[in-house]
Order: sequence, then C-alpha cells, then structure tokens
Amino acid sequence: MRYQRLGLDLVSHLLLAAGCGLFFLPVWLAFTASTHSMSDLYTHIAPLWVGDVGLDNYAQLLSEPVNGLKTGMLRLLFNSLVMATGIAVGKIVISVLAAYAIVFFRFPFRRLCFWLIFITLMLPVEVRILPTYEVVANLHMLDSYSGLILPLIASATATFLLRQFYLTIPPELVEAARIDGAGPWRFLKDILLPLSKTNLAALFVIMFIYGWNQYLWPLLITTDANYMTVVVSLKRMLTTGDALVPWQDVTATAILAMGPPVLVILLLQRYFVKGLVDAEK
Amino acid sequence: MAILHLTRLKKRYPNGFIALHGIDLSVTEGELIVIVGPSGCGKSTLLRTLAGLESISDGELTINGRRVNELEPAERDIAMVFQNYALYPHMSVAGNMGYALKNRGVPKDEIRRRVAATAELLGLGELLERRPRQLSGGQRQRVAMGRAIVREPQVFLFDEPLSNLDAKLRVQMRLEIRHLQKRLGITSVYVTHDQVEAMTLADRLVVMNGGHVEQCGTPMALYAEPATRFVASFLGSPAMNFLPVTIHQGGVVLPNGTPLALPVDIPEGRAATLGIRPEHLLEATSTQNAGVILEVTIEMLEPLGADMLAYTRLPGLEEWLVVRLDGAHAAREGQRLSLTFSPAYCHVFDADGMRVSMTEAADAKARAVQ
Amino acid sequence: MAYFQRSPLTPWLLLAPQLIIVSVFFFWPAWQAVQQAFYIEDAFGLSQQFAGLSNFIAVLSNPDYYSVIWTTVVFSLSVALGAMSIALFLAVLADRVIKGASTYKTFLIWPYAVAPAVAGVLWLFLFDPSLGLVTALLERLGIEWNHNLDGGQALLLVILASVWKQMSYNFVFFLAGLQAIPKSLLEAAAIDGANPMRRFWTIVFPLLSPTSFFLLVMNSIYAFFETFGTIDTVTSGGPGSATTTLVYKIYQDGFVGQNLGTSAAQSVLLMMLVGGLTFIQFRFVERRVQY
Repeated sequence: MRYQRLGLDLVSHLLLAAGCGLFFLPVWLAFTASTHSMSDLYTHIAPLWVGDVGLDNYAQLLSEPVNGLKTGMLRLLFNSLVMATGIAVGKIVISVLAAYAIVFFRFPFRRLCFWLIFITLMLPVEVRILPTYEVVANLHMLDSYSGLILPLIASATATFLLRQFYLTIPPELVEAARIDGAGPWRFLKDILLPLSKTNLAALFVIMFIYGWNQYLWPLLITTDANYMTVVVSLKRMLTTGDALVPWQDVTATAILAMGPPVLVILLLQRYFVKGLVDAEK
Repeated sequence: MAILHLTRLKKRYPNGFIALHGIDLSVTEGELIVIVGPSGCGKSTLLRTLAGLESISDGELTINGRRVNELEPAERDIAMVFQNYALYPHMSVAGNMGYALKNRGVPKDEIRRRVAATAELLGLGELLERRPRQLSGGQRQRVAMGRAIVREPQVFLFDEPLSNLDAKLRVQMRLEIRHLQKRLGITSVYVTHDQVEAMTLADRLVVMNGGHVEQCGTPMALYAEPATRFVASFLGSPAMNFLPVTIHQGGVVLPNGTPLALPVDIPEGRAATLGIRPEHLLEATSTQNAGVILEVTIEMLEPLGADMLAYTRLPGLEEWLVVRLDGAHAAREGQRLSLTFSPAYCHVFDADGMRVSMTEAADAKARAVQ
Repeated sequence: MAYFQRSPLTPWLLLAPQLIIVSVFFFWPAWQAVQQAFYIEDAFGLSQQFAGLSNFIAVLSNPDYYSVIWTTVVFSLSVALGAMSIALFLAVLADRVIKGASTYKTFLIWPYAVAPAVAGVLWLFLFDPSLGLVTALLERLGIEWNHNLDGGQALLLVILASVWKQMSYNFVFFLAGLQAIPKSLLEAAAIDGANPMRRFWTIVFPLLSPTSFFLLVMNSIYAFFETFGTIDTVTSGGPGSATTTLVYKIYQDGFVGQNLGTSAAQSVLLMMLVGGLTFIQFRFVERRVQY
C-alpha cells in the first residue's frame, strides 16, 4: 500500500530524472569536448553539443602514439584489459579454492588460515604501498603484467564473498554427494561450481572494475610505457608543463578509459547488484 | 541372515558428549526397521553413523558380513533419503538419479536404462528432464527415493523423509513407501519422530531415548507390553494414563486411598506408577459389575468423529484420566461416569520406570478374567 | 555438516595459491613496513640504522602531520555524508515510485564503474579555470574560481568528484535496504495515523541504520584510499598541502621525498587506524549475521 498521490509521484519522477541528468552531465560535457578541436575549446566556453570534428580525435588518438609516450592508445587499453581480466580471473580462481577449503574441510590450523587470509581485508594495497613496491622490485616484476596483477590479488574480498555463499549451501547436499560417491574435487566441479555461477559472475564484474580502475599501483611500478594502463596515462597527458592542456585528447581518453567498465556494469547489472549487496551480509 | 549388524556401537563427540551409548541391533534381509524417539534421542546420529556421515567411536558395524567402520559412505553400499531430499538443484531428475552411477563409472547406456526403469516404477517417466524446483513436494520425494533405488544398494536409510510433506500427502507416501519396500524387498532403516508413521511402517520398531535403545520389537508387542514407562508414554495417541500408586498387601493403592487388587512383584510400601490406555477404560454397566470401579467426573470432551475423548478426574487426584468413548456417546461435561477395566490391561512401572511383571498367580487370574 | 576428511592434503593444496600470494604480497611487505618504521636509512640507501621510535616521533611531532590528519577527516566526512545523503534521497524517491525504479537504478549505477582518476579528470574539466563550464557560470555569479590557487576550492573540487563517483555504490545499498523493509510495517504505521514524513523518520530510517553504518565505514575507507587517483589527477595534493590526505602523504614522503623511515612509520600508523575501523565493522557484521 502506498499513498498514491499523483502530484507527489510527479515530483519524485522529476527529481529522479534531474538526478540522473546531473550525474550524466560531466560525462556528456567530456564527450562533446572530445568532438571539438583544441583551438575551438580554447576560444569558446565549454560546448554543450557535439562539435564539427566528430570522432576524428578518437581516430587520431587510436592510430598515433600518445603525447609524450612512446606507445599507442590501443596498447594502453590492451594493458588495462590484461590487468583487469588478470585480477578478476586470478582472484576468482584462488578464492574459489581457498573458500572451498575453509568451508568444506576440517583440518589443523584451519582457524589460523582463516585469519591469515581475512586480515588482508583490513589493509588495502595503498597502505603498504612502499614495501610492496620493494618486494615486487626484488622479484624483478617491475614493468610486467605479473607485477601489475599479483599484488592486487593478495586480498580476501572475493574469498570472503564466496565463503558467505558456500555457508548457505545445505549440508545435506554435501552428504548426498558423498553417498553418491563424489570426492572433494568432483563435488567442486559437478555441484559447487555450477551452483555458484551467478556469484562468480558478480565477482567478475566487481573485480574487473576494481582492476581496470587501479591507479596508484600501476603508476608506481610501470616506467616502461609498454605496460602503462589507460587510467594512469591521463595524468601524463594533464602534466604538460607550460603548454596548454590538450583537453580534446584528455576527454577522449577519459571516455575511452571509462567505456569498458561502464559497459560491463550495464550489461551485467543484475549480477553486480546481487554481488555487492550479498557481500555486505 | 543379518544384512546390517551393530555391536555396541558408540558415538562420542570431540566435546565429550556421548550421543550413542553402545547400540546393539541386527537387521535381516528385506526388513523395515523404524527407529523412533523424541528429538535429541540419538536416532539421527545412529542413522548417520550407519551412513558413514559420522565416524564411529567404538563398537563394530558390518554390512553383509563386512566391517565398514572405516569406509566412506559411497563404499558402504547404502543409499539415503534425506528429510529435505537434498536433490542437486542444477541437475535434471535424470541427472540426479544417475549421478551415483556416473561417479561409479557405469556406462552411459546402462545409466539411461536403469534410470528409465526406476522412473517408470515411481511414475516419474514424464519428469526426467525437469529440474527439482519445477517439481511438487511429493514428486521431489519420489525423485529422492528413485535416486536411492537406482543404485540397488544393500541397505536403504531414511531420515524423516516425510516430515516436509503436508498431512494428506504424508499418508499417501507412507503407503507408497511401504508398498515399494515390500515389493522390492529393500532392507531399510527408517528414522522418524512420528509414532503413527513408526507404528504403521515398521516390521520392527526401535524406541530410543537419551542415546539408549529403550525397547525393540514388533509395533504391537511394544504397544501391548512396553518395557519402560518411556515406551509406554511414547507410543499411542492419546498417551497412556499414568497414576502414582503405592504397593500395599500385594496390590496397589491410589493416592486417594482406592485399593486395586493387582498382585505385583515389588516389595511392600514402594512407590510405583500404574499405567492404563484410554481405550482400556470402559464404562461400567449395571449388569457387568465385576472388577474395580472408578467414579470420575467428566471435565472436558473432545469429539473426534469415530471416538470421543473424555478428560476425567478421580476425586482427590491431580492427574487427568483420559477415556476413549464411542463417538456417539451422549456424555456431557460435568457428568459423572463409572469406569471399569481389566487388570490384564494394567501396566505397572517401578520408581526407575521399568516394567514390573505381575506375580504368576495374578497373571493367571488376570487371564481368567479376560 | 559432513566434511571431506579422508584427504588431509587436499585442503592445503586448495589453500596454497592464496596463502602463497598473501604471504609474498601482503605479510612480507606489511612486516617490512613495520621494520622500516624502526630504522633510518642513509641518504644513499646503503646502510640502515636502528632508530627506535624516532621515526614515529618525527612524524608525530611535525605539525604538518596534524594538518594532514585534519584535511583527511574533513575530506572523508564530507565525502561520506555527501555521497550518503544524496544516495538516500534518490533511493527513497526510487523506492517510492515503484514504476521505473529499476530504470533509474540503471541510470544511477554506472558512475561506480568510473575510475577515481577518470572522475577527477571529468570534474577537473568542468572547473578548469580557463575553459570550464562551471567556472564560467560561477564567474557570472561573481565568484572567481581557481582551485590551483585557492586551497578551499581545491578541497571542494576533490570532494565533489569523489561524491559523484561514490554515490551510486550507496544508492544500490540504500535501495536494497529500502526494498527489504516489510510493507506490512509501513501499513501498520499508516493505520496508526503516521504521515509519510513521520513514517520515514520513525520507521524507515531506524530500520536502515545497519545499512547506514556499514556504508559509513565503507565510504570512509573509500575516501581514505581509493580517492588517491582523484586527488592525484585533480590537485596533486596541492595547492600547498590543502588536499594532501594521509595516504597521499605516505606516497609523497616515500616516493617523491624518498624518506622511507617516516613514510613507513606513517604506514604503520595508518594500518593501526584502519585496522581499528575494520575491527569495529567486523564486530558489527558478526552481530548482524545473527539477525
């Protein structure tokens, strides 16, 4: 039952639409700016509509080496993709296994392992950034994909989420499987993984976005532009010394940098919402 | 011969709690044993140790002559039907039924053949491609049965398989299980807390309490001669009436002073309990005036259709005395009633709750009265 | 529950990948951070000398550190409260209209996927002193905007960009929380004569308090750590140190200033702070699970 008051409903819709519009505005303005030439941008106030250059800026950006870097935008996007996918897949794989061991097995030092893993929830990479950098340098993993990916996998968010889900699996299902002659590996493959499909999809969305959007870590460990990510390259384009900021390129890069994760969230919204909200419980 | 044999089977949990205090039991081929008892009596633990889901602390368990204490559930040649069915939600009915065979490496053709045959037997032929969530409660129950049957195990274990069904379906499935069990000659151990289910299904009944077997035997034997006060109170609905009595001059005396001539085998002066079932309390007619007469007042009536339950009280006594009257009886609340009963239907239990046998003479006399 | 007990080695095999990664990339660095906090390294990085608590004393006796703490507190609270109140307001509206709630969700959810650094760039463009749209509008109102010179404006800009990105996260939780409130409760309140406003403050808001508390912790953690990208692209911690937060200072001292000892001491202090925060949240989550 609701108070169905037409006026109030109308106001609500108006406010919501205004909210959506306001939140979209920065992106829209970035997009329109990316379709103007640099001289246009610096002679007029920020344009509200698409300019005459169209998508030329994008074409140029994707085909030529990026300002001040010895590498192309496609390579940067590819690096971001590798990093995001690597983090998402890597986290999911190690978490599926670790959470499985913690929930479905009883073994000595189980509680200790649990705490060793879950204490990592407390300290994000930003806090221990300097020593982590040294460790990665000692392992000769600077300027490499493994250096970009592995340290960011060392957190238990996915393990925690999967543990919560595993705990909701009725114990009788495990017992039935044991009676049916399924050992631990077969139970994992035949029953647990098929049942966690939605949760794994949700995890993938969350971790892909997390990986794609990383900033501080890739900024630190990549000096070779061949391993730089698109998000990090933005700062390089902004720091031009005394020259004017090439906003048409910066906004175009921003649009390109937010494209893939936004696409992922919109396509897999259902899983994402479920994954986020379940993680809280 | 005994398919399943338990010798002083014990279960002790790591926290020191002892769930089973040495159970002895033999189950012969084709027999249906029902284990019944209140929650926490150890009946589920017993079933789970048979299945291999709980380890055995002490004693021995053999299936078909082979010691299986240390074997995994899958190696024991048993099947289990769970209370909540425990069907794999992401597999079809056929997938659920064939999973155990697949794990054993049975060829695909044979799996298909055996699943189809079992499905036919259970009337599931049309449903083989469905998922569990698309099935009704009764159908899920049948799939759970089918999953057990298709493996052709030595022993079936049932863990309260009907308690998730509504009352009507429960009666129907009860008959169906009994029918299938007899037809296929399946050796079964069936756990329930429902004494009606227990009485109607069992070839032999095992009543458990506090991790012990209280009594084991055919349902009628347990009903007619309960070995302990616990068994007497657990079987039968409404429950047996119990009155506190003292032993005096070879008979018993009710708390209000009424003496009853029941020559029991306990020393003079001891306290004991007299038990009598509601259907064994009869209205005394003027012509048949032999035996004891109890004058009671009806305090409440419960018409059940075929029967009418009268909740009565003896003057000066706290305990109800429940009487099963004919459904058409004209009794009214507040009315007085004269009751009589045969000493043969009396049960006497000592202070420890153990059944006390009547003396030889009393027994003979009781039979003569009958 | 029945567990797999037969194979004592299997759980260790399953745990091995995670344990190895966590040891190498978490415990080893965390231990080194603690160790470094107690040492002073010479200018060439050739030798180390045990320094006891002197790194901590150096950090804690520097008045700059307290101004950074103050900036962090102002920044985090503004971001958390701003992002949460806007999200709650929109979530209440979306929950009210029923029709179209999921459409609005789609239109409000996507900023979550935008990188903090990208969010910073978008807002930087809006407020660019020479060609930003908002700058131009403000100029008409007589307000001169230049966050490169004005510390307050710089802080406001990073707060705006951070709120913009974080709002959708809060919106998802508030909407889920609102939709989980049993309708019968609101009906009962309506029958008891409570008007919609009263119903919100006396029933809905208290029932949302667990969600709100959880979000407060999550938003603080976001403001502490993830906003690094926003701050670095928008202001680089400046002007002066007007937008330097605790994490940004660790980065500056450690990587730009090459002052390992004090940077490590700051890391340890921050670890303790965040550890405490998370501990509170854990206790809280444990309690919630029993509902």
